[in-house]
Amino acid sequence: MMAGDVDANGVRVQFRLGGNEKVIVLSEARVEQIHRIARRVWDEPFARRSWSELLFFVLSSLLAVVGFAFIAFTMLSGVALAITFIGLVVIAGSLRGARGIGGFHRNLARSFLDEHIEEPEPFAARPGFFGWLQSALRDTVGWRAVAYSVVKIPLSAFGVWFAFSVWVDAFFCLVYPLWGHGATRPPEFGVFLNLFQPGYLSVGDSGFFHGLFIFVTGVILVFVAPWTMRAVVYVDRRLMRVLLAPDAMTARVRSLEHARAQTLDTSAATLRRIERDLHDGTQAQLVAVAMRLGQAKEKLAEEGGGLDLDQVRRLVDDAHRGAKEAIVELRDLARGIHPPALDIGLEGALSTLAARSTVPSEVTVVLTDRPTPAIEAIAYFCVAELMANIVQHAHASRASISCVQQGGWLRIVVRDDGQGGAQLALVGSACSGLSGLTDRVHAVDGRLHITSPAGGPTVITIDLPLHA
Amino acid sequence: MTDSIRVAIAEDAAILRDGLVQLLADRGFEITAAVGEAEGLRASIERDCPDVAVIDIRMPPTFTDEGLRAAIDMRKRHQGLGILLFSQYIETRYAADLLADDAAGIGYLLKDRVADTSDFVEALVRVASGGTALDPEVVTQLLGASRRTDSLSGLSGREREVLSLMAEGRSNAAIATTLVISEGAVEKHVANIFAKLDLPVSQSDHRRVLAVLRFLDS
Repeated sequence: MMAGDVDANGVRVQFRLGGNEKVIVLSEARVEQIHRIARRVWDEPFARRSWSELLFFVLSSLLAVVGFAFIAFTMLSGVALAITFIGLVVIAGSLRGARGIGGFHRNLARSFLDEHIEEPEPFAARPGFFGWLQSALRDTVGWRAVAYSVVKIPLSAFGVWFAFSVWVDAFFCLVYPLWGHGATRPPEFGVFLNLFQPGYLSVGDSGFFHGLFIFVTGVILVFVAPWTMRAVVYVDRRLMRVLLAPDAMTARVRSLEHARAQTLDTSAATLRRIERDLHDGTQAQLVAVAMRLGQAKEKLAEEGGGLDLDQVRRLVDDAHRGAKEAIVELRDLARGIHPPALDIGLEGALSTLAARSTVPSEVTVVLTDRPTPAIEAIAYFCVAELMANIVQHAHASRASISCVQQGGWLRIVVRDDGQGGAQLALVGSACSGLSGLTDRVHAVDGRLHITSPAGGPTVITIDLPLHA
Repeated sequence: MTDSIRVAIAEDAAILRDGLVQLLADRGFEITAAVGEAEGLRASIERDCPDVAVIDIRMPPTFTDEGLRAAIDMRKRHQGLGILLFSQYIETRYAADLLADDAAGIGYLLKDRVADTSDFVEALVRVASGGTALDPEVVTQLLGASRRTDSLSGLSGREREVLSLMAEGRSNAAIATTLVISEGAVEKHVANIFAKLDLPVSQSDHRRVLAVLRFLDS
């Protein structure tokens, strides 16, 4: 017997098992969890996802059969003909076909499972027929697609037995009562009905209860079917990700290519910025200086006694001030290209940076090995950018910079007690700001992590390898 | 001589703009406007109809060639408006764009030239009165890039100097002063150059410039 009642701690369930009285107290969270699971099980047969998985399984299995037939036929003929040159060509053609079949599988996964498997590299043949042949035979994407087609066949067979048949069983059980009682036995080719062989199914009874039992069995199967299918499709997803996506090496090459492109763009943008600073700042300043000195020179050269000394003095004064401003601008610009403090090491450079900041900052640097110059520069400019952000946006009263070596890595943590809310996209313009930092850090396989809740504090963590 | 010349200035670097205003005012020019971007320049030219506009090529918002585009545009709308482009770089392409149909009242100078105040003022006066002022750098680049090297190599050293100064837009008198020779000698050199390069003889200085540039460019 079972009894349940609700008290303050949750639900008490009493029941008797083998003569022993048992009491289970379920906490509210537990009850909530059970509810959730029950709701999920109830919803699943009606969920769009379950039906698209079923459809995917059917279509991809059909495709797998066709694909396997093609690959098996062409490969075997290729091997049979291998003694002649034609055999190699046939195998190459087979691999190109396998690549296409892999593409179909990826498309199916994208359309029905919303599983976006990255496209592998497009086939790049070397020039000439023999180049093509060699490239095709060495095409790892093709060979991996062959592997997928081969492995997919037993998976599909298993899926038919383990999952597809459950749907079929469920269907026949549900419609059985409509067919006139006992006229036919429900089919028994599926896993569940075969496994359990429930006795009531084979009872030659054609009564109302017989039909009801079978119908109830069908209902249960409907709730089981989505899950067995999901398991099969899950295995297929994994398989596709391994065999139909670019392999790890290719992915690595791609990410390196991406990083390289970004590094080149960033350095081009940096050069452009320096050019603009020179053009708008120092160059204009120097032209103005030259202009004033030119004027003064002509005044001094003027014949006759009309020399206005005051005016000349003013011109020379302006020129002198302009020259000094130009020197300051040049110094700032040069520091922006390569901070001289970096020559003595990161600790000195970061201390200088903190000392120049208008927000009081403390610096901790613990390094046993010296990072390579490129890493030092990246670390320095990242901290410089972050400190500039803090001064401009954070409304912080204090900041701290810590730079600690952890094995082969450098961990930089910049913290401020400002208003928070720093985000990659929002702070700074396109080429500077936090997104610019991310590019710099990614270029050397580093990582950048931001914690900046509204109201602060903001903590930005950058991990850089010691050697790049 | 320069009392009545009215100048509009478009230059985004405030320090240079102020310097120019001061320099030109000191030399008796009337400054109708001193602005930092092309739109303000357009408006002020509509309003004040100056004789000449000094225009920086690189101005906000894109810092590419706003000034040049404004200049080409305003040449079409205001007959007789002199344009002096003013830049820290010489792009021969820009000169070609600007001189596409006429060299009258066109100037293109490096900003450095303001250091030699008198030369700069002289060039500005020339442009304001319908003449031409091309930076020596422009001429050098055009000479260097020209495919007519065989014809040019037929010129004597003196003649090449005269050709360069001619291409800058200078008058015979100015060339004579610069090279410290008589005006008659200059006229002789010019006649020789036109004969050797097979150019149509022309009286006005800016047509002469155009003829030389066409020759170098073809």
